[in-house]
Amino acid sequence: MTKRTRLFVVIAAGILVAGLGTGLLASYMNIQTLTLIGGNGPEEFAYVPADAQILGFANVRAVMDSEVRRKLMELHPGADNADRFQERTGINITQDIDSVVAAVTPDVTDAQGPPLVLARGRFDQVRLEGFAREEGGVVEDYKGIRLITHDNFGVAFVEPGLVALGVPAAVRRAIDTKLAGSGNVTGNNELMQLVKQVDGGSVWGVARLDALTGMRIPAEVKDRLPAISWLSIKGVVGSGIDGVISAEARDDQAAQDLRQVVQGFVALGRMQAGPNHPEIADFLNSLQLTGQGKTVSLGFSIPSAMIDTLGALRAGRRPGQAQPSPAPSPEQAEPPQPAPPAL
Amino acid sequence: MKSFMRGAWRVFELSLGEMLWSRRTVFLAIVVGCPVLVAAVIRIVDSIGVAPLRINGQRMDFTAIFGVMIWVLFLRFIVPVLGVFYGTSLIADEVEDKTITYLFTRPIRRGAVLFGKYLAYLVCTTLVVLPGVMLVYFLIVPFQQIGASFTMLLTDLGLLALGLAAYGGLFALVGAVMKRPLIVGLVFAFGWEQFALIMPGYVRRFTLMYYIQSLVPHAMPTEGVTSLLQAFFTNTPSTLTCLVSLAAAIAVSLALAGKAVERREYVLDQ
Repeated sequence: MTKRTRLFVVIAAGILVAGLGTGLLASYMNIQTLTLIGGNGPEEFAYVPADAQILGFANVRAVMDSEVRRKLMELHPGADNADRFQERTGINITQDIDSVVAAVTPDVTDAQGPPLVLARGRFDQVRLEGFAREEGGVVEDYKGIRLITHDNFGVAFVEPGLVALGVPAAVRRAIDTKLAGSGNVTGNNELMQLVKQVDGGSVWGVARLDALTGMRIPAEVKDRLPAISWLSIKGVVGSGIDGVISAEARDDQAAQDLRQVVQGFVALGRMQAGPNHPEIADFLNSLQLTGQGKTVSLGFSIPSAMIDTLGALRAGRRPGQAQPSPAPSPEQAEPPQPAPPAL
Repeated sequence: MKSFMRGAWRVFELSLGEMLWSRRTVFLAIVVGCPVLVAAVIRIVDSIGVAPLRINGQRMDFTAIFGVMIWVLFLRFIVPVLGVFYGTSLIADEVEDKTITYLFTRPIRRGAVLFGKYLAYLVCTTLVVLPGVMLVYFLIVPFQQIGASFTMLLTDLGLLALGLAAYGGLFALVGAVMKRPLIVGLVFAFGWEQFALIMPGYVRRFTLMYYIQSLVPHAMPTEGVTSLLQAFFTNTPSTLTCLVSLAAAIAVSLALAGKAVERREYVLDQ
């Protein structure tokens, strides 16, 4: 072996060893968990207990101001009951709520009630309390915070501009978590890893799949759910909707199987869409399946034009649906009289 | 056996230098340098605040970009190409240059000549391709994602080495028994393998790519009709099946190539 051959071998092997060493070190130190890389989610996480199994966030302001929402409202003009809700509670959903954090904890699952919701915005506390009393609610003071309870539902004004809603036990526990200053969800590394991946979307959600299966789902359905341990969804709402659905399978094989199932469905969808359904073909073309190891991610994009197309399709169908078939006139309804026999 | 290995080692030492400093290595450097260049461009574009890759307006994740590069550039193109160009030339070049007589008149077995050259091919290509992949990885994947994706990189490196070994072994056999091995090799790698993979049934089991693709930790890119058909008809074998099949392919190819070299009478054109 000549000197330059040896030199080449040493340099190439050196690059490999240096790369592997750096990677091993990063992997060993678990560098991705360092907080300097990303934030720790919304401030409302201080109220969410560490054993939360499902977490969701919605930037209501961004969604309400988006073009998508405007177009959807045009499609469903009667779908917005905001006026009636505002009349009774004083809350204008489109203007008064900025963001919402929702969490499902074991308290919620046990009580089979709604999830814990932390809504940030501008609320008329007096009017809300009045509305609650009208409905038979009881106002109490829990550790210096006004808590209104009614049946299996509670509302607490935990901070100026922040209300906690949900099962009373869950609301009380949220207050306890905040007052304790520790034991909140930011200490749940497993969940926070997923949150960091989706944080930044207008809407997002992360869930342990066994938490979902622990809910009221028939056993037949539970048995057929894929071997997924975590699920996360992120959406960016603007002129269109861009989103990513990610799943963490229990092992590499399960992930590979899941990818193939998704690819199969996408391929089938493309075949079905064909040239006659360009709007569906556009959506299917936007699907982007990625993932490594146990992770499977499916990105999608619903462009503004697709929403317009759906609107046009709906508008095109309406006349047909709205036009009832004309009722037969009495003259037409009766069978024609037979002509008199010719004499 | 000991004399076989000693002979193979001598041929390896001689051939490694020849391979590394041949014109073919320039081609190898260009082929491996292109992904490194692409990765550098992606890094520069990202550093100035522009999304390097978007699909229908959606920004592509860096780890996903690396996965796509492994699939499209390395596994589907670079590994088969290097296997064809280097593997078929192990014996064919010596025949063409009329220098095979010098090797065959040495007091070493002919099979050891082939094995030594095969080892030289493996070291030469892995020492160029694997550091190239390492550079691509560190250029593309952000530092904070390295911890989570590092095991994937290890799998990728192992898989590329295995792919180079499998294709090199197969095309060493082709080079040892056929007269125009390059054409046959190219037809196999970019004709038969691509065709068989999209066919339903058992045909794909007679390709190397079927077993290599099944071991890839990244999702298969779905950008083309071929990929979609592959995904639609695929049924992934287990990791053990893939590893055993690839090891068997390497062993059988090298054994047959060695036998062919031992028995064949090479007639040199005057």
